[in-house]
Amino acid sequence: MSELSATVMNLPRRDAQDKLRGRTKYTIDRVRPDMLHAVLLRSTVPAGRIRRLDVSAAHDCPGVRAVATGADAPGLYGIGIADHPLLAIDTIRYHGEPIAVVAAETEAQARAALAAIVLEIEPLAPVFTMAEALQPSARLVHEDWRNYEIITEGGARAGNIAWEAKSSRGDVDAAFARPDVRIVESSFTVGRQSHVPFEPRVAIGSWEDGRAHIQTSTQVPWTVRNVTGRVMQLPPGRVRVTVPPVGGGFGLKFDASIEPITALLARMTGRTVILENSRQEEMATCLCRENAEIRIRSAVTAEGEIVGREAVVLMDCGAYGGEQVFLTTMTAHTLGGNYRVGAMRLVSRAIYTNTPPNGAFRACNGVYNTFALERHTDEICEALGFDTIAYRKKNVLRNGDLGATGQVFEADVLGPMLDRMETLRANTGTSEAKADGRLYGTATTVGTWFVFVGPSAATVNLNADGSATLVTSGVEIGSGTMMQSLPQIVAGQLGLAPDQVIVREADTDAAGLDVGVGGGRTTVSIGAASVAACTEVKEKLLRTAGEMLQTRPEDLLLQGGRVEISGRPGSGATIPAVVAHAQATTGPISGSGAFTAKNTPAMSGCAMGHFIDALDIPVFVVHEAEVAVDPDTGHVEVLAYRVVQDVGRALNPRAIMGQIQGGVVQGLGYALHEEVTITTDGRIAQDNFETYRLPLAPDVIPVTADLYEGAPSMGPLGTKGAGEVPILAVGAAIGCAVARAIGKPVRQLPLTPPRVLRLLHERETQPEFPHIAPGWAANTLG
Amino acid sequence: MTVTFRLNGEDYRFRDDPMTPLVDILRQEHFLTGTKAVCREGFCGACTVHVDGEAVPSCLKPVGLLHGCEVTTIEGLSSGQEALHPLQAAFEAADAVQCGMCFPGMVMSLSAFMRDNPGACRAEIKSAMVGNICRCTGYERIVDTVVDCLDTHRQTTETAGSMNV
Ligand code: FES
Ligand code: FES
Repeated sequence: MSELSATVMNLPRRDAQDKLRGRTKYTIDRVRPDMLHAVLLRSTVPAGRIRRLDVSAAHDCPGVRAVATGADAPGLYGIGIADHPLLAIDTIRYHGEPIAVVAAETEAQARAALAAIVLEIEPLAPVFTMAEALQPSARLVHEDWRNYEIITEGGARAGNIAWEAKSSRGDVDAAFARPDVRIVESSFTVGRQSHVPFEPRVAIGSWEDGRAHIQTSTQVPWTVRNVTGRVMQLPPGRVRVTVPPVGGGFGLKFDASIEPITALLARMTGRTVILENSRQEEMATCLCRENAEIRIRSAVTAEGEIVGREAVVLMDCGAYGGEQVFLTTMTAHTLGGNYRVGAMRLVSRAIYTNTPPNGAFRACNGVYNTFALERHTDEICEALGFDTIAYRKKNVLRNGDLGATGQVFEADVLGPMLDRMETLRANTGTSEAKADGRLYGTATTVGTWFVFVGPSAATVNLNADGSATLVTSGVEIGSGTMMQSLPQIVAGQLGLAPDQVIVREADTDAAGLDVGVGGGRTTVSIGAASVAACTEVKEKLLRTAGEMLQTRPEDLLLQGGRVEISGRPGSGATIPAVVAHAQATTGPISGSGAFTAKNTPAMSGCAMGHFIDALDIPVFVVHEAEVAVDPDTGHVEVLAYRVVQDVGRALNPRAIMGQIQGGVVQGLGYALHEEVTITTDGRIAQDNFETYRLPLAPDVIPVTADLYEGAPSMGPLGTKGAGEVPILAVGAAIGCAVARAIGKPVRQLPLTPPRVLRLLHERETQPEFPHIAPGWAANTLG
Repeated sequence: MTVTFRLNGEDYRFRDDPMTPLVDILRQEHFLTGTKAVCREGFCGACTVHVDGEAVPSCLKPVGLLHGCEVTTIEGLSSGQEALHPLQAAFEAADAVQCGMCFPGMVMSLSAFMRDNPGACRAEIKSAMVGNICRCTGYERIVDTVVDCLDTHRQTTETAGSMNV
């Protein structure tokens, strides 16, 4: 297939040279001397009522050009439910919540003016944990929860339960009551993970011809546009969002946060305003991967068949619902993935607490649900005496098996991937010898995630010099999609070289709707929209060339920058000649394309409160870790790490390998030492590089990976997103390997040396959840 | 107080608070934004510049201590249309860059390290990188590139050496 051979290549990145020379202007590098600087007044209590907020003295401070409070942007935003004000209105719900903002000529002047704001807060008793929030007598984090606008229908809600998603398939009670089953129950708890993108959240707002223009470091220009419209009570079309190169996102920038504030201040001042989070603010208000509590029970026969499974997953959304509302959906597809299960019911609840709001982080709740499911699977194997790899081979999802919501999985993917892992291991050998007297453990784990499809649009303009301009709302966040796979796809479609494809930076005024860069979706969704746009371009091009060459369009083909008569290489005309002809006769050649989810059905009645009932494109991984644990210090060394990843089709294998190495290392941080804790006054304790322990070069090892191609995908050329899932099963593989090395159950991450030592000496308190009722149904809103 | 030093080959006179961190002067006064202020406390290395040829974090360097020094930033390492430093070229060829925010600092730190430690092994390179954090890449490709660069350098010097004989 020539289209394929013209598309698949290890294309280097066109942005690498400028990035290496320090010339790339990220949003944070675009400060100009004529800009105003905005600084936020943030709450220093976790919960309270604003009794007095007087900003008049701040207005009079030197250099101050505007001061804004919640009253200036009263609209609420959110995902699923509109529960989030831009600046606190009446109620404080977390430590660090923005209350007011000052814009001044210099940052120092803005900071000085903050001190002139009179703020009186009546403290309220904070609700810090999900256990507290679920007490019947708990104070409501959102007293007004009933009055919020519902953006997406269907989720059950009550008090501190921001959202509940439930799936139920088959007769689970009957399965658990069978006389021939063993029931295995496990409980897990995980903390938050902070993204620490090197560029913090930052935005530059201006007010131009009666409209807002926001330049920002975001993954979701259309969300920023829409949220700014909501909070400022403007039609969203009066907001334009453009996105310079983004210095790392990892999901943190998959929601709007501070951006609308700059538009508000720009409207008030008529000036351009920059607002950037200091590193402390960035980490103290990071929309982290949420902390969670998971209880899972399975009914398994002596042969290993899982006849029943049920689980309760509590996800801390912090002070506002945010992404967790959506992510409750993903429990069905992650805890409910991996294995063939007879009957199953799962409930996932996003719980409000007076802590900084959480958000999306690469593979989101899939990371800890996979940790929980894989550790639980190992506990099943231990209880029933099965070999963990043989058990997985026997029970992983196969062609025709049902997911939690009744979705039918197509093709055998995980089974052959497990075989490929054996081959990979045989090729690399194992590293047990390197354990050198320490406790050695190894584990092979599986994971199920998805490509977040959804709407994307693309326009392709063919230029008279033979180049093509691709216009989309895609953002280059570092993963290379905009630099590699998209130009490769367009070039392959149009018979061009990838460097002839110009990729336009995201601009909501230039390109159509897009739900954002994340969820592994860019190559698939924007890629498919681009292919559709190219189809129109190709059709116009061949029609024009047919006229010029007096040949039927179906006898023409595009290759090497020419329109050729098939079978006669070198014949025909160059693309520039055809484009020039078209411009003079029918007009410039352009095409537009669109794409959206196909909405694969679930079984009726199985999914409740879900944003996605079934996965359009499931993605699978197999991860294998070998570890050595020092019994004296509790330190875990990763000796080897192997990955088999379902990529559908690898368009740029070298770039995918780079994503796998980077994603696995972020996962190692999560599994071993990245720890976020909440202080007694409700702050994130780790708000700088000294206290939050990121992976360093000496901590890591080279990951060996095998890209598994050929699993079904609706993505262009059969591709699936490859950048998100490398982190999916790292917590699982490390958790299982450490459990085996030390011979104790691992039920909590991260596995810091003190925790490992406590586990070794049986001093670790294992998770118990009195606030999760023993009967599954009692944990649902019915 | 006035501090005089050379910045990317030109004389520069600074008259303000001598405690101002160098990174702020570079970014705010000179718009040399290739030097990134990521952590501002000496941990990440994204702000690394050369002061008299030594790699130092510019966030921790008060400008008052630079009197008479020669400061080179990433922009000064290969300016205009000058060829990339061999390490930059190697990073580009290896597809090592992702978001790119850490790379100016990586290049400044590792170029000085390679000059001073041409015989460094993989483990030594990795230990030298503790002060340069990257959140995107998982490091190994960066390390591979440095290893390859040093190998090439050794081979060229050996060949050149034997030709000289
Ligand atoms: S900003 Fe200087 S070391 Fe991080
Ligand atoms: S490439 Fe993003 S921090 Fe290194």
